[in-house]
Amino acid sequence: MFNNLIFIILFMLGFYALIMKTNLIKNVIGLNLMEAAVFFWVIAFSDIGGEVAIHKMGEEVTKFNDPVPQALTLTGIVIGASTAALLLTLIIELNKFSGTIDRDQLEGLND
Amino acid sequence: MSWMNIELILLITLPALTAVLMYFSRDFNQRVRNFLAVSGAGAELYLIVSLFIYNFDQVKNSNFFLQYTIGYQDTPFVINFAMDNLSLLFSLIVTGAVFLIVIFSTQYIKDKENRYFGLFFLVLASIQGTILTADLFTLYLFIEAITIFTTPLISFKKTEETTRAAMQYLFYGITGGVFFFISIILIYFNLGTLKMAAVAESFALISTPMQLTIIIFFLLALLIKLGIFPIHFWLPRAHSACPAPISALLSGVLLKVYLYIFMRLFWTMIAFDFLVELHLSAFVLDLALVSSLIGHVFALQADNLKKMLAYSSIGHIGMILAVLMLNTEAAFYGGMLHIIAHLMMKSGLFLSSGYLLQTTLSHHIDDLKGIGHKNRLVFIAFITVCLGTIGMPPLIGFVSKWYVLLAFLKARHFFGAFVVAAGSIIALIYYLRYISQAYETVKSESPSLKEELISLKAFFKSTNTMKSVIYTFTLLIIFFGLGYQLFEIPVNTAIFELLNPQKYIELVLGG
Repeated sequence: MFNNLIFIILFMLGFYALIMKTNLIKNVIGLNLMEAAVFFWVIAFSDIGGEVAIHKMGEEVTKFNDPVPQALTLTGIVIGASTAALLLTLIIELNKFSGTIDRDQLEGLND
Repeated sequence: MSWMNIELILLITLPALTAVLMYFSRDFNQRVRNFLAVSGAGAELYLIVSLFIYNFDQVKNSNFFLQYTIGYQDTPFVINFAMDNLSLLFSLIVTGAVFLIVIFSTQYIKDKENRYFGLFFLVLASIQGTILTADLFTLYLFIEAITIFTTPLISFKKTEETTRAAMQYLFYGITGGVFFFISIILIYFNLGTLKMAAVAESFALISTPMQLTIIIFFLLALLIKLGIFPIHFWLPRAHSACPAPISALLSGVLLKVYLYIFMRLFWTMIAFDFLVELHLSAFVLDLALVSSLIGHVFALQADNLKKMLAYSSIGHIGMILAVLMLNTEAAFYGGMLHIIAHLMMKSGLFLSSGYLLQTTLSHHIDDLKGIGHKNRLVFIAFITVCLGTIGMPPLIGFVSKWYVLLAFLKARHFFGAFVVAAGSIIALIYYLRYISQAYETVKSESPSLKEELISLKAFFKSTNTMKSVIYTFTLLIIFFGLGYQLFEIPVNTAIFELLNPQKYIELVLGG
């Protein structure tokens, strides 16, 4: 329950920053916050209080956490980091061209 | 493990290897680069065509199936590639179009820009992966890969406009990706598997509110990627800012790949009955039709040639999505034919616009005066393809639009039939606007120095490869318009796959 609450708060915060803020870097932060919220929720949900899924041959482990969501989350983090890097690069380029990183001012420049 | 199954993996790894070669070949001259690019795309085309020809009997009896598994079969998460008739059809048309686009690019892209081809082949590899994959997480990975690899291609020219377009494209694409990820995770927590076939077997066991959540997140992700009406702003900008071959790739090929994912998810994995039960199919149908109308109307007021073509793409994609939502056999036939037709026509239009716009000052309609006189034959090809998109009788656009219209009338959905007809009429108006402008006689002023330099540069650049690709597309459109029955077997077997998902499920799970 507590986990779900934190997930919703984080996700909505990220969504708010993505939609409402006009500063492009804040938008990137919002997008990353959204992703972080989802990853946090996945890990929290898959944690059943068991052991790590890595164990020795022949060792009997009755209760362990499912490793698949953890693997998915790791891949998701990699994708999130690379897209954030790409977005920030594009914003730097944009700043060189137009001298601003404000979304509204950029919209006003043409069309 | 036979050669056929290895060919399946080669379809994905071959373009990836070509991309790596391209990346390490910065010092190659243009001829070596072009040879590498064309042979890479040609080998890809050979692989898929040979798969089609050697298995023709199985395709005809619609029991063609290939699969390749990496990892242990019984674990919940294995990497699994499978190919049935539906994926074979899409892989075939996509590879054919990409081959022609690569030949066009060898001339269009100047020397010492090998980065372009590296990224291009990475996109091709991701597209093939998206089409062939049989489990959800690999699908997610490949979709994200397509978004990431196309972004530098959109901002390839490095101006303010292209950078903005690329940034917007990435923002929307990644937001869609997050929604897709949520849906996948919900499926995993509910069913404990990521194989599409296994999900299909037990999707009915999930509680109804959870089903609704999963379907809504999938729909959100795919509607963003397809550029359906409320979230379509990014599409015309992104599709018009990039170099012409990339416009053709995005608008002609990539949108069809997203339509394929749509079919795979909502007919094979989640049975379409769930969408009908939850009253979502009627909603998506109406949304797609509104999107189609709005795309055509916005194309009417677009003053930029490539932007106009991109808005027209929104119109056509909305129409295809709407007709697929009818869920009848006639509707699938019309939709599939229009997917193939639109793939050829939009690629042809974007490529010829890329050729025509090389000699003009800008893409604005006022600067297009007299281009019809300058490049006569290419412009005639452009007009022919335009007539195809409008739906003139001997061309393939007419055949596909006719079947779409018939499907709407058969289902007694008259708003849909109205949208198809109205779209054609509006399209006639906006194409005529550009064509009449192009044939306007130019006053015989002495050309300024800048114009002279541009025309001189264009003269040295113009060799026949680009033109011949444009003529090939035009001839294909005329040829298939007369002989559209050639598509009968692949299209009908693909429809069989949509109507009987049970076959795919059993074969994937059977090992």
